[in-house]
Amino acid sequence: MSPLLEIKDLSFGYDKGSAPVFEHLDLVVQKGECVIVKGASGSGKSTLLRLICRLNIPRSGEILFKSKNVAEIPPPELRSKITYVQQIPQMIDGTVRDNLRLPFTFARGQHKAAPDDAALMRMLDAFYLHGVSLNQFALKLSVGQKQRLSIMRAILNEPDMLLLDEPTSALDAESAAMVFSIIERLSTSEGKTLVIVTHSDYSPAVPKVRKCIFRNGKLECA
Amino acid sequence: MRMNQIIEISIPQLLLALLFILVAQAASLIHKLGLGRDISIGTIRTVAQLFLMGYALTFIFGAQTLWLTLGIFVVMVFSAVFIIRGRVKEKQIPYEVPTFLTMLSSYFLTALFVSWLVIGVHPWWEPRYFIPTAGMVIGNSMSALAISIERLFSQMRQQRDVVEMKLCLGANCREASADIFKGALKAGMIPSINAMMGVGLVFIPGMMSGQILAGADPLIAIRYQIVVMFMLVGSTAISSIIVMRIIRRRCFGQSEELLVSPE
Repeated sequence: MSPLLEIKDLSFGYDKGSAPVFEHLDLVVQKGECVIVKGASGSGKSTLLRLICRLNIPRSGEILFKSKNVAEIPPPELRSKITYVQQIPQMIDGTVRDNLRLPFTFARGQHKAAPDDAALMRMLDAFYLHGVSLNQFALKLSVGQKQRLSIMRAILNEPDMLLLDEPTSALDAESAAMVFSIIERLSTSEGKTLVIVTHSDYSPAVPKVRKCIFRNGKLECA
Repeated sequence: MRMNQIIEISIPQLLLALLFILVAQAASLIHKLGLGRDISIGTIRTVAQLFLMGYALTFIFGAQTLWLTLGIFVVMVFSAVFIIRGRVKEKQIPYEVPTFLTMLSSYFLTALFVSWLVIGVHPWWEPRYFIPTAGMVIGNSMSALAISIERLFSQMRQQRDVVEMKLCLGANCREASADIFKGALKAGMIPSINAMMGVGLVFIPGMMSGQILAGADPLIAIRYQIVVMFMLVGSTAISSIIVMRIIRRRCFGQSEELLVSPE
């Protein structure tokens, strides 16, 4: 079976002529896998995720998603299938409901039925957001709550693959534990394919986990 | 004194007006504002530029040549883009060429529409009408464009993470930047809309004042002013929308990735 994501000989640098962030990087991600990417600051962990969903463009090499070059997939379609969740969660100026239904307001998501309030409430509970109401202003939530809400919003978009960039870096221990628990459930119960960039020593208790580390511009996977 | 009689300002009378500049210089000196140099340069430039324009217009009105009129129009638009470039400190995204071409085409059509169809001048390029009309359109829309373009770039930078969040959720580049686009467009258009609210109540516009001072019937002057006010709102809207749409697309790459780098 062909892998869900295949990265071949990927190189990236920010400006023409500047030193590359990394070169000749290869990575294969199978469906249902949970890949943890570690490395020092500036090693290119977040950049790798941004390259996968084409928020940045590589210097050379190719990224195949379901055997198709990501450069040939219309960007809104690609980013709906491979959804990147930023390190610092971002909310629009509106209620929790407005934020959760945001993907369904775009042309790409309009053909999908937006979840009703009852479904959203059930999901809020599952994401440890019990006390949060749909009418609450999202910008007033804590960082930990916003982080869980942003992962939930990405899941509502039904992606094939989720890219999580330092999902717990700005959180206290309690909030981080909740996010870890959500990640483990998404991987184990729902079979989601995840690529997680992290600084912490977190190792999720999931069957299909694989650890990779950036060393000297190379990605080494177990 | 009869209407239509113009009182000529002699050179000594003109020099008398310099007293106002001396008052401004004194204010700067007393309050240590440090504006003395700017006031002096501004005074010299005002006199020099306006005299130059006066002689140029006298020549152009006398020459009655289509290509000379259009040449002056192109120079005016080029100067406007140069001034916008001075106000918008954007180095990363090239916007000058589309701005120049859009201003050139949309202002030409506006000036043509007003001088030919609304005022009914023959030939349509009659410099006495075409050049002042174009000047008002260019001057007004230049300020609006400078505000809108500057706002678009600064907001794209400030709200970079929000724009990328929307892109990641499946938005196309238009959807991801829709709020920023609207805000920037409104910021540029509001001054000319506000001007319509205040005209005749709060202030008498420059063109109408000029016509009245030159001896025109105020009832004729107001008709010209109404045309000008409408023309300014319309031309600002058209040029802003076209320029902003082009610049917004340039803020994103081929894969609809945001190119505007962080501050």
